[in-house]
Amino acid sequence: CVCTTPPLPQLSSFEYPWGFTLASFSLICLSPGEIVVNEVNFVRKCISAESSQDDLWGKLICTNFKVSFIPQDAPSKQKSQLSHLLLGEHDIPLTCLEQVVTANDTKGKKKVLGSNQKLKFNPTELILYCKDLRIIRFCFDEAGPESAKKVCLAIAHYSHPADLQLLFGFEYQGRRYHASKEIISVYLFPEEHVNGSAPRGGLRTPIFDRPSDWDREIKRTGASEWRVCSINERYVISLSLPEYIVVPVSLADQDLKQYSIFFADQRIPLWCWNHPNGSALVRMASISDPLQQRKIDQKVFTAITKSHPQRSEVIRYDLDKSLPNIQDIQSAFVKVRQICVIDPFEESEERWLSSIENSRWLEYVRAFLKHSADIVYYLDGKNASVILQEEEDRDLNCVVSSLVQLMLDPHYRSLIGFQSLVQKEWVMAGHRFLDRCNHLKKNEKEESPLFLMFLDCVWQMMNQYPAAFEFTEAYLTVLSDSMWIPLFSTFLFNSPQQRAQHLMDFAKNKAIPQGEEQAVYFPPVWDWSQQFSTKDQTLFNNPMYVGKGAACVQNGEVKTFRRTKKTYSSTLRGTPASLRNGLKIGEDSLTRRGSLVSELKSDFSPVKDESPSERFFRDWFSRAADQQGLLIPLLLPSHVALWKLYFLRWVPEACIPKGGPITAYHKLSQLVDEIEILQSQLRQYKGPSGSTPFPNPSRPLSDQRRMYFKAASPTPPDFLTSSFPFTPMGNLCRRSFQGTPISKFLNGAKIWLSTETLANDSL
Amino acid sequence: MEHIRLPKVENVRLLDRVSPRRSRVGTLYLTATHTIFVENKTGVRNETWVLHSLVCSVEKQAAAASGCSLLIHCKNFQVLHFVVPREQECHDVHLSLQRLSQPVLCLAERHTELYCFSYKPNVDEKERCQEWDFLDLKADYSRMGLPNSLWKLSPVNQHYKVSDSYPADLFVPASATPPVIVGSSKFRSRGRFPTLSYYSKENHAAICRSSQPLSGFSARCLEDEQMLEAILRSNPCSDFMYVVDTRPKLNAIANRAAGKGYENEDNYSNIKFQFIGIENIHVMRNSQQKMLGACELRSPSMSDFLEGLESSGWLKHIKAVLDAGIFIAKAVAEEGVSVLVHCSDGWDRTAQVCSVACVLLDPYYRTLRGLMVLIEKDWVSFGHKFSHRCNHLVGDPKEVSPIIDQFLECVWQLMEQFPCAFEFNARFLITIHSHIYSCQYGNFIDLKLLRERTHSLWSYLWKNQADYINPLYRPDHSQTQGLLRPSTAPYCFKFWRGLYNRFDQGMHPRQSVEDYLRAIREETQQLEEQLKIAHLEQEQEWSVTQKAVTFDKSPTAWALGNDLGLANTPQDYTGGFITSSPCQPKAPDGRRILLTQDSNQTSESNLSSGSDQESGIADVSCRSPLSTDSTRDPDSDEAAYSAA
Repeated sequence: CVCTTPPLPQLSSFEYPWGFTLASFSLICLSPGEIVVNEVNFVRKCISAESSQDDLWGKLICTNFKVSFIPQDAPSKQKSQLSHLLLGEHDIPLTCLEQVVTANDTKGKKKVLGSNQKLKFNPTELILYCKDLRIIRFCFDEAGPESAKKVCLAIAHYSHPADLQLLFGFEYQGRRYHASKEIISVYLFPEEHVNGSAPRGGLRTPIFDRPSDWDREIKRTGASEWRVCSINERYVISLSLPEYIVVPVSLADQDLKQYSIFFADQRIPLWCWNHPNGSALVRMASISDPLQQRKIDQKVFTAITKSHPQRSEVIRYDLDKSLPNIQDIQSAFVKVRQICVIDPFEESEERWLSSIENSRWLEYVRAFLKHSADIVYYLDGKNASVILQEEEDRDLNCVVSSLVQLMLDPHYRSLIGFQSLVQKEWVMAGHRFLDRCNHLKKNEKEESPLFLMFLDCVWQMMNQYPAAFEFTEAYLTVLSDSMWIPLFSTFLFNSPQQRAQHLMDFAKNKAIPQGEEQAVYFPPVWDWSQQFSTKDQTLFNNPMYVGKGAACVQNGEVKTFRRTKKTYSSTLRGTPASLRNGLKIGEDSLTRRGSLVSELKSDFSPVKDESPSERFFRDWFSRAADQQGLLIPLLLPSHVALWKLYFLRWVPEACIPKGGPITAYHKLSQLVDEIEILQSQLRQYKGPSGSTPFPNPSRPLSDQRRMYFKAASPTPPDFLTSSFPFTPMGNLCRRSFQGTPISKFLNGAKIWLSTETLANDSL
Repeated sequence: MEHIRLPKVENVRLLDRVSPRRSRVGTLYLTATHTIFVENKTGVRNETWVLHSLVCSVEKQAAAASGCSLLIHCKNFQVLHFVVPREQECHDVHLSLQRLSQPVLCLAERHTELYCFSYKPNVDEKERCQEWDFLDLKADYSRMGLPNSLWKLSPVNQHYKVSDSYPADLFVPASATPPVIVGSSKFRSRGRFPTLSYYSKENHAAICRSSQPLSGFSARCLEDEQMLEAILRSNPCSDFMYVVDTRPKLNAIANRAAGKGYENEDNYSNIKFQFIGIENIHVMRNSQQKMLGACELRSPSMSDFLEGLESSGWLKHIKAVLDAGIFIAKAVAEEGVSVLVHCSDGWDRTAQVCSVACVLLDPYYRTLRGLMVLIEKDWVSFGHKFSHRCNHLVGDPKEVSPIIDQFLECVWQLMEQFPCAFEFNARFLITIHSHIYSCQYGNFIDLKLLRERTHSLWSYLWKNQADYINPLYRPDHSQTQGLLRPSTAPYCFKFWRGLYNRFDQGMHPRQSVEDYLRAIREETQQLEEQLKIAHLEQEQEWSVTQKAVTFDKSPTAWALGNDLGLANTPQDYTGGFITSSPCQPKAPDGRRILLTQDSNQTSESNLSSGSDQESGIADVSCRSPLSTDSTRDPDSDEAAYSAA
């Protein structure tokens, strides 16, 4: 995108070779390749549900990328939310639309619009239900009825693309690629040119599409008995596996080819990660043929055992049996959304907790964390390798394997590490993002928010260990929102093969020379400068994080300071009791552990000896938590909380002005910023030159400062609310809200009726 | 001492509440003031002290093969489960504890069994007297700008002649004459006439409080009407006032039959009458019991917990109190209208609502000292029946109710919403809660001779204020000033694990933002110091060796952060799961020995006149997740260094 807030006079002096469009009257910003499909003027955008006095008048536009609203009056200068480089304050990408609803109030008609549909009435209202939980409402009381209708139909039509290649990202990235080859791009994409010298467009997140990324991971985790295997090059074995996978050294390519035919979708076991004690985390699909299953299992297990330095047992953990399935998760999500944003407030008010309970979302969050912690026990406490098994190995395994690694390996709690984890366990492992996100709105049965489930679990961990993660909950939220912006290759495809195929076709169509890297011409989401300014990206930085980055001054030198010596808290105690047959033990313990709903034993009934896993957890909790070591979440119900920033950020009733966790974040950021300033001043004294003059206090430090809130401006901005960096303003306008008793309740203080009114009132 | 049937039982098992498979074996001692469990474990000294006055119930379960179970529930939400080997012993302990935990007041002998009379810290008499002068309510009224031309200090209740549950010094409208006051008091339950609780000097709006009028179905009282008129006139900017009855309407109507009730808008000029449905003490008591039931479940599912919490209605009641406070705060701050608040007697719901409104309105009450003043003003001085509500003495169990708990929880909920707006931390609230129930200090006990013989909590808290400071607080921030506008949507109310599960160590988060803030703060200070030194060095061109010496001295704040992580879990987590061995952190060594050698030494003289008997309460500091001092390991600073 070339502009964020209209008007942008400074850009008008450039000429854009690809014919950058400024739609004639309005000040809409169009991205390269974006065209206006339809527009209507004199539209009213509802800003708050209770009154229309803040409503905005302006123009509603549908492009091939987004729904845009251009208010007549210049927006207020106050920046109360994160500004997106490609999307304006009132823009919604078409991919983000969940449902397009038109209504005619006078006729009492309502219709949910799909692709290529007709509308028999003139809409007076358009309500857009968004996948990021916003509900946006436009009124056409003053607009031309025919144009309004056309815009509604256009929005509905364009939000149901017939084909993946019709998603705007393909057009956009093509234009953008060619533009970047022009000199002018220096002005348009300055970020890239700062880092541009790096071969992958300044991207430091490993994509795992090449052997070297895997090799590095093998070395980093010390998995010496594992090797990168390239039998799936050009996806000849499996269409859903990556081209390069990691397998036990004892398995020859020939063996793997032979086994592959028995696995669902030919998904041979996939190495995920190695514990410093040598145990490996492996994921695999199930084997449909029961006759072959024993045989193949045996061979795979033996190979994995051989790759363990202590030849430890292998435990199989069947996730299908112990976790909710994708439909369960989807229906839980639909219910939470219903409670949080869609239902008018009054209905859930009285029974908020049981509504949340009914959705089962938190129960599922807890289940995923619980099972991940169980696997952590096997890997860390029992020194055993674990195979995660799921029928297809493309859904639940993604959540659990990434959570296990997040708990065990501090590397994944850094920003780059986390992104590489998502890349490795989700994108490359073939999570069906296209189907699960339902970008094409073709099959609702396949839709399921597994990735959001994962992010919620991460948030729970973060909530319990606020200093252990380099990134913030704002980052997680923004990451989840990025799923609905179709410009990045990360969330658009079902598998690496599909991605490669589409990108190859795309390159051909757009005349991109062969040999160009896909990450260059169709970048993943990880290059955040595509979406946010450097300054806004600092909102991703956790001021409390004490990972490798935290510098410390000592003896006049600036050192990178680690708070602990160990990279891992090796909690190996003793050797496993027995090397029992791994095939059985996993399943046995699973059926027992399977249900989270443990019966309530009469309180305090004395129980016999503890199980080893109980002892493992108790031991761990009895020690100090090591930020750079294993982290286990607390899982009593009172520890599992609703992720408010994600679920309630648009809800005006939940918004606390000048309050919420962001106020603490503000304060902490300032302090950390102060530390950075002081350190850099100290560096000036202690620098190698030694004879630096006194620092100039006004010296700019900005490029190195990591904090969004600067020490220099100690007063928190007035717009800071618990929803920051988002705002409920105009983002949650439920229909038929006006005039209900609850709106009276929400309107003001006079919630208690006086004596006379009570007598007559039916309430 | 005559109540102790059995001073010592051996081979008692203390079961771990969170994972009851674990138990510890030790010796149980009964002393005049405490139950003490000493674990038999060589090398580790692990004691659990429970103050008798904190014991809420003692329950003996049927004998089993393993022994006889004794379940002790405490008012600070600690639950202890002992298994005593022989039933007879269990029986004796049970009876002793039942008696010890219910002190009887015997005024004739000027002797009372309340703990505050036997609690003797090492403080000389002069200092003890000064403790009671620490808070001065008159100073708070003059902070509000009183007396002034609108409100005057009235001598009418000197010697508690008009209302014995009211303070002697009261502020009334300047135009209210003694006959009007006395007349009004006769028309109000227990003589609790309308009087000032808070005055906003910016706009002259005031919060007044009283008990319900004795209006019955039609009774009127001219003086009472004049009294309200006088209150209205003391707010020159407003032509009406609110009268807020904090009860549900049905309850108020029911009171009419008993000759009580509520104001009739027709009889009083320019009042707007409002009901606010806060439930009565019995509903609140039952609700808390249910809520505690839900959080005491041993391995609850998500549904067990959420549904238990919901059906207890506890958070709904908290919301009701907060909503009421918001209504009043908005009336005062935004509308500039005075409010008269009452319930039935005007000492439970009224105290809650007035004090919550004050916290919302006035940043002063969000400071350490301010909150103490507020409790002293709206609760202690206006006669909240602490002894009944907290069951300090044997009394009617139906009088017990967690009214003050709800106020403290309202403040906590506000702190969760506004983490930077309060000078104190949650530990401060928990400590106050604990001492309201412990009877260790005389503040919450309505007896004569208290000031002569007991100690005051407020000066204790003030002396230890470093423990209670919220590092996020900044008084100059706009968000800490003016009216707080909390959200009372149901999703904004949290379960207060820190209070209700505070003894379940395994349940607490192992990191808090607060810990890290402290660490970061210290690092900033160190860097500033280093910078100053560097500055000096530069100026004076010191030698390199001198520099090295200077910098070696500075510890790293991050290393401290590491220790804080440790402090979150007690070092002896396995052993100290639910224990509260009070002497762990602060007590000087040596003092603790007294119990271990011989049970005979656990006599009253030893325990009650010990030099530093903070006992049952000191645990507050060591249980709290922030007891940094106690567990800080000096070595780890070095370790961290060498690692760097």
